[in-house]
This record gives sequence, structure tokens and C-alpha cells, in this order.
Amino acid sequence: MKDIIRTESLGKYFGEMAAVHEVNLRLQEGLFTSVIGPNGAGKTTLINLLSGYMLPDRGKIYFREKEITRLGPDKRVKLGISRSFQVMNIFPRMTVFQNILLPVLSRLNKTSSAFSSLQSQKEAVGEAEKILGEVWLQEEKDFPAGELSHGDQRLLELGIAVATNPQVCFLDEPSSGMNPIERIKVLELVKKLASERKTTFIIVEHDMDIVFSLSDWIVVMNRGEVLAEGKPGEIRENQEVRDIYLGEEI
Amino acid sequence: MKTRLAVLILLFLLALLPFYAGKYALYVAIHILLLSIFSLGFNLLFGYTGLLSFGQAGFYAVGAYGCGKILLAYPSLLAGIVGGVLLAGAVSLLLGILCIRHTRIYFSMLTLSFGMMIFSLAWKWRDMTGGDDGLVGIPRAPLEVPGLFKINMAAMENYYYVVLGFAVLAIYLFHRIIHSPMGLAMQGIRDSETRTACIGISVQKYRLVAFTIAGLYAGLAGALLPPLESTVTPPLAHWSHSAEPVLATLLGGIYAFSGPIVGSVLFYLLKDIIVRFTEYWLICLGIIVVILVMGFRGGVVGIFVREGSRR
Amino acid sequence: MGFPLFMIEGKDMETLAFQGLVGLSVSMYLWLLAAGLTIVFGVLGVLNFAHGSLFMLGAYFAFTYYGLWGVNFWLAIAMSLLSVGVVGYFMERFFLRHIYHMDHAFQLLLTFGFILIFDDAVKMIWGGVAKIPPMPSFFEGTVSVVGRPFPVYNLFIIGAGVAVAIVVWLLFEKTWWGKMVRASASDREMASAIGINIPRLFTGVFAFGAMLAALGGALGTPVRVVAPGIGSAMIIQAFIITVIGGLGNLKGAFVGALIVGTVSAYGILLFPVFELFLIFLIMAVVLMVKPQGLFGG
Repeated sequence: MKDIIRTESLGKYFGEMAAVHEVNLRLQEGLFTSVIGPNGAGKTTLINLLSGYMLPDRGKIYFREKEITRLGPDKRVKLGISRSFQVMNIFPRMTVFQNILLPVLSRLNKTSSAFSSLQSQKEAVGEAEKILGEVWLQEEKDFPAGELSHGDQRLLELGIAVATNPQVCFLDEPSSGMNPIERIKVLELVKKLASERKTTFIIVEHDMDIVFSLSDWIVVMNRGEVLAEGKPGEIRENQEVRDIYLGEEI
Repeated sequence: MKTRLAVLILLFLLALLPFYAGKYALYVAIHILLLSIFSLGFNLLFGYTGLLSFGQAGFYAVGAYGCGKILLAYPSLLAGIVGGVLLAGAVSLLLGILCIRHTRIYFSMLTLSFGMMIFSLAWKWRDMTGGDDGLVGIPRAPLEVPGLFKINMAAMENYYYVVLGFAVLAIYLFHRIIHSPMGLAMQGIRDSETRTACIGISVQKYRLVAFTIAGLYAGLAGALLPPLESTVTPPLAHWSHSAEPVLATLLGGIYAFSGPIVGSVLFYLLKDIIVRFTEYWLICLGIIVVILVMGFRGGVVGIFVREGSRR
Repeated sequence: MGFPLFMIEGKDMETLAFQGLVGLSVSMYLWLLAAGLTIVFGVLGVLNFAHGSLFMLGAYFAFTYYGLWGVNFWLAIAMSLLSVGVVGYFMERFFLRHIYHMDHAFQLLLTFGFILIFDDAVKMIWGGVAKIPPMPSFFEGTVSVVGRPFPVYNLFIIGAGVAVAIVVWLLFEKTWWGKMVRASASDREMASAIGINIPRLFTGVFAFGAMLAALGGALGTPVRVVAPGIGSAMIIQAFIITVIGGLGNLKGAFVGALIVGTVSAYGILLFPVFELFLIFLIMAVVLMVKPQGLFGG
């Protein structure tokens, strides 16, 4: 199995504080990976660095052995990287359908087209319809996205993330802010996407049910550094990991 | 289907306007059309891409001065208009490169500043622009394509049709752009720049495109002015002129396609009424802006049309 | 094109030195205007387009109290500060406060609307003709600088500007109020959680910023024309200053004001038609090299 993402001594500092420090990761293609750790461990910063949302202060990032350290987020997407956001980041004034159509158009390199109508983009429209079905939002397709329920917005958020047909997709706390019913739905969707698509998912999560039921590999972070990595069983047994969670059920 | 019918009827009425309207009404109608073009460009930038520019009058002035200078040297209407538009487009492209890479607040500040820089140039560069006297004696040159036809423009009705033609063209093109993939990308930038970048779209590129198109529209509106008024003066570039498309669009509705057009009509109606009572019409403008921002951000169209169904 | 490279009046070095001093006094007005603008932005997150209008109001009020009603000069300045403070209070309390949660664009639009209102209101109340107020007697006369007459009043302005800069710095660094303001600026929620009344604090900061602008306008009355539109002319330069210095940064505003004031003065001397251009050029260069401004973070 190949490394799909690799980092060397990755570091990001805010003044004196190290958000991410000396992180050396080798994430394997095809392995569903979870990044866990207490609050402030640097998980979201790590995702921000890997997706291009922030640039690192130190270290390098490789995607399939190609260096992407300083590439902007839009260029990384073109290479096959994508992400979802913890704080809902959809296009509220556009319809649900348009929310999915736009990333599809971006993937097909059609966004420069200024005079052809949206309806005439048959391939993109067809694909967007399919993805809409995948995330169970066909009925809401013409609603302004901002008017969706919180749970449905999360489904849309995930839909946008996979609409560019990425090779690796970072999901930042997909169950964040969900009530128990919504959480189940999100979990189902993530499971479905992971099994049906050729995408390597890397998720940041606090919900241990999701983490342990889905992951092939777990990375544990604490205070900006990688504390441990391994298969779910190994992590569960790891004393250091248990310590930082202070006896919580993991 | 209903919209198409309404638009056709409107076009029909506009085409027949010279037959039942007096000269003054035609004059106002032309000005409304110019403001509509000006405001459409402004709203591509604001309502559709999320960038608030307070300097569009600068490009309007570039279009106006460009057309004026061309017509003074070579009296062909098409040459003047096309020349003015292209000049405005070039200037907006250059200034755009400097402005668009910044946060939205810096962007707004920069546009106000650049607009006033153009004003200052127009005012002080006597040799080129005529200083505060401006350009005078600009002819309403004939519409001609050498070898094909030459139509005299002395009659206001003839010029009205030229302006109407350009306005319809501008509106049509705008409609195509808005409903195209590029238009959707711009709306994405307005709704969430970060998300747009994270789906593979270069935010800077589309902001620049939007800014340049807005500049071209402002330039077109400006270029259509000199043949009508025969003079071009520096206040055309002043920020108080930049306020007109801002107000017209806000009044009509920033979230609607027809907003800038409806707003332009309302703007002239209001101006006409207000000016009869007082010379202090800027303060009324300001009060209207404050009321709109505090309570009616969707403008007049927003009051009647539900969100999500764009017309 | 053809413009003269040097306008020679007497010896070059002396002319340049003199103009530098002129630039310094202009910088002080700009500093007072830019300081309020940048403080309001740094704390409230609002860019007040109408800030130049507050400067203008400061000038008009001072002119009325001192030039028309014959009030003592210092008292007139204080009264004009209070008057504009009240105006600022109303602006924030009844209008701005209600739109903080909205897109920044609407805040800009609102303050833009206020420019239109103030510009005409001033014409309505005071008339559209420019006013030229008298010079207070103790500042009359000139001082000889490099062999040229330099108005005493301008020296006062330079002194006053520096004094205000020190006072403002002390206010934000050393006083309890200043610490509350800085805490609220960096973390609104946290500040609120420890009991700071954010809405009231914000109104206070806005009024404070308004008074700084008014001080600039008021101090300028004896030497500058009081006319509609003087604020709008300066707001452009204030924007450039905050962009150069970094939005929200007081030190940057001071340095930026010095740069813009001096460049403007030299521009008028050496490149009379294009001095505004020069300032823009500097701004463009700063932005290209350091987009957040010289001191911006």
C-alpha cells in the first residue's frame, strides 16, 4: 500500500504556542484513518495544513510523493485533495443543487465558461444529481442551502467535499454539533461514502463510536505532536493514550 | 414563460417610446438606461461576487473621457463608444490586479481611493482632460460603418435607439454570464470564499474577471454619455457619482437580477420628486441608504419576490 | 506630459527642509483622523467611512463656538469634541450597533450613507460657502525656520499631535479602561464573560474615535478652510494611512500619517499635479510587499 499523504517535520506556531510540532505522518491510501486527541491537540490545524487552508511554518507535505507544501487550497483540490469543515461552510444563498453543481463544474474544468447556460452542462448536471442522491438530498434540491436543517446542512457539507471526486478527503469533525439522530445519519453517510467511493477518508473526530467502528488506522495527537499511531485495537490498549483521555471509555 | 412575455412587452413599449413621449422624457429614459448598465456592472461585483466597490465612477469617467476624446478627433459614434469601453476595461483590469487580492474591507477602501485618484487626475491634468472645464463640444457623431451605412444622430430619437440597443445587449450578456458556470463560481465566492477555494476554484481569478466586467459596464455607461451631453467633466469620477449605482442597486434589490434596473428607474423617479422640494438631495439619498440597510436589505424587489427564486 | 522636476525657490536644501516641517504639521491632522479610524476598526471591527465627516463636524463646531460665538479658544475645542462625541454616540448606539452581526458590506454601506447625510446637513446648517475663522491671538505670527517664516500655529499643531499620541498610548497601555478595550478587541466573548459591558464599551470607543477625529478638525480651524467636503478629501488619505500602517494598529497609524503627510507635502512641492499619485504609489508598493501593512499582523 502506498503513502498517499506524507509529512516531514511539519510545524505551525502561533507566537510561542506550537499548534503542530514535528509531525511526521505517512497516511496510507485506502485506509480509513481517524485523527483523535483532546481539545487543542492540533487536529484541526493539521487538517488545515494538509488541505492548504493554512501554510506551515516548518516542514514539508507530499501528496503521492509530489511536494505540495506551499500550494494553495484550490491547486490541491485539482490534484485530488478535498475537505469538509467543522463549522458549516456551505453556500447559503445558492440552492442545494447549485451547491453540489459548482464543485462538479470545478472538477470538469467548466467554470471558465461564461456564455453557456448551466442547464446545457449535461455531464455536470447528471453527476450533481447522482451525488445529491448519494447524500439523500434530492427532495431539497431547489431550496436555498441556508434554509436547510442543521443536520441536512452537514449532509450537504459532506456532499460538497466528495463532489470533486477526490482521492483523499479530510473530514473535520463531521458529527460536530449534531443531535443523536443526526449523528447516526452522518455516520451512515460517512460509512456509505467510504465503502462506495475510491476515496481515502481521513477524519478528525471526538465521537469514539464513529472512530472505532470505521477506522482502519488511528493517529493520536496531543499538544501538537503525534502521540501514537496504530490499528484501533493497539490504540485502545495503549496506556499513554488512555492516560490523556483520563479513564474515559475508549 | 411569463417572464419572457413581460420582457417582450416591456421591450415593445420601450421601442415605441419616442412615439408617445416628449423630448425630456426621452432624455430621462436614456439616463435611466445608462444608470441601469452602470448598476448591473456594479451588482455583478457586489450582489454576485460579494465585492463592494465605491470607485466604479472612475471607470465610468474613463469611458466618458475616452469616448469624448475619440469623438473630438474622429467623429464616428461606434469608434468613440467601443474605444471608451475598451479603455475603461483596460484600466479596470490594471487596477483590479492591485485591488482584488485583498480582504473585502481593504478592497472597498482601495476602490474608493482609486476612484478619487482618477477624479484628481481628471481635474488636474489640464492638457489631457481639460481640467475642471472638462471636454466640451463633443459631437453626437453619426453611427457609421464605413462602406455600409451612416445614420445621422442629430435627432434625440435616433440616439435613444442606439442607447437602447446597447442596453439590451448589455442586459442580455449579463443574463448569460449570471446563468453560466462562471456566474455560479462568482456566487460561490460571494457565499464563501474559503469553500470556493476548497473546491478547486481560484478566487483571485474570478474576482478579477468580475471586476473587469464591472469596469467594462461602467465604461459603456460612461461612453454613451458624451454624445448625449456634449461635455465631460471631472465630477463624473467623484465618489458621489459612485454612490449612484450603489444606491440604485440597493434600492432595487441586490439579490435580484432585475434589481439594478428597477432601482435605476426608482432612482430617477425619486430624484425628480425630491429635487422639486429641496436642493439638498444628497441628504435624502443618505437617509434612504440608511433606511434600506437598517430594514430593507433586499430592496424593493426583495419586498415582492421571495428569496431563492431569482428573476 | 512635461512637468518640472524641481521648482526652485531659493536654495534646494532649505526649501526641502522647510517643506518637511510643513509635511510634519499636515501629518498631525492626518494622524488624529487615522487614529480614530483605526481604533474603531481594531475594537469594533467596523470601518467607518464617515469618519472624515466627523473630522469636518469637529471643524464646523469649533468654528461656530470660537469663530461665531466668541468662546475662548480652548473651551471651544473642548465643546466641539463633546458635540461630535454626542454625534458619534447616536451613530453607534442607534444605527451601527444593530448591524454588527451582518455582512461587513452593510456596515460600509451604512457609514457611506452617513457621509451623504453629513455632507448635506453641513450645507443646510452652515451654508455651502467656505468659512475662514480667525487665528487666536496667542498663536499669531511666525517663527523663522531656515530663513523662512513658519507659522507659530503649525508648531503648536506638531506639539499637540505628538502630545495626543503620547496620551492615547498611555490611555491604552496603562489605564483600566484601556486594558478593557484591548481585551474586548482581541476576544469579545471572553471579555463579556468576565463582566465587561461590551455594548457600552463599544459605544464609548466609537465616541472616543469620533472625538479624536473632531480634535483634528477643530485644531485645524484657524489655519485651514472650513468647508463641506474637507472630511471626504482627507478620508482617502486616512484610508491610505491605515492600509500602510495596518488596520487596527495605532503605531502604524502614526508612522503612516508621518509618511503620507511628508510625501504629500513634498509631492505638492515637486510634482504638483501628481502628488496624490505619489501617495498611491507608496501604498501600492507597501501592499505588494506587505499586504497587511507595515505593522499589521
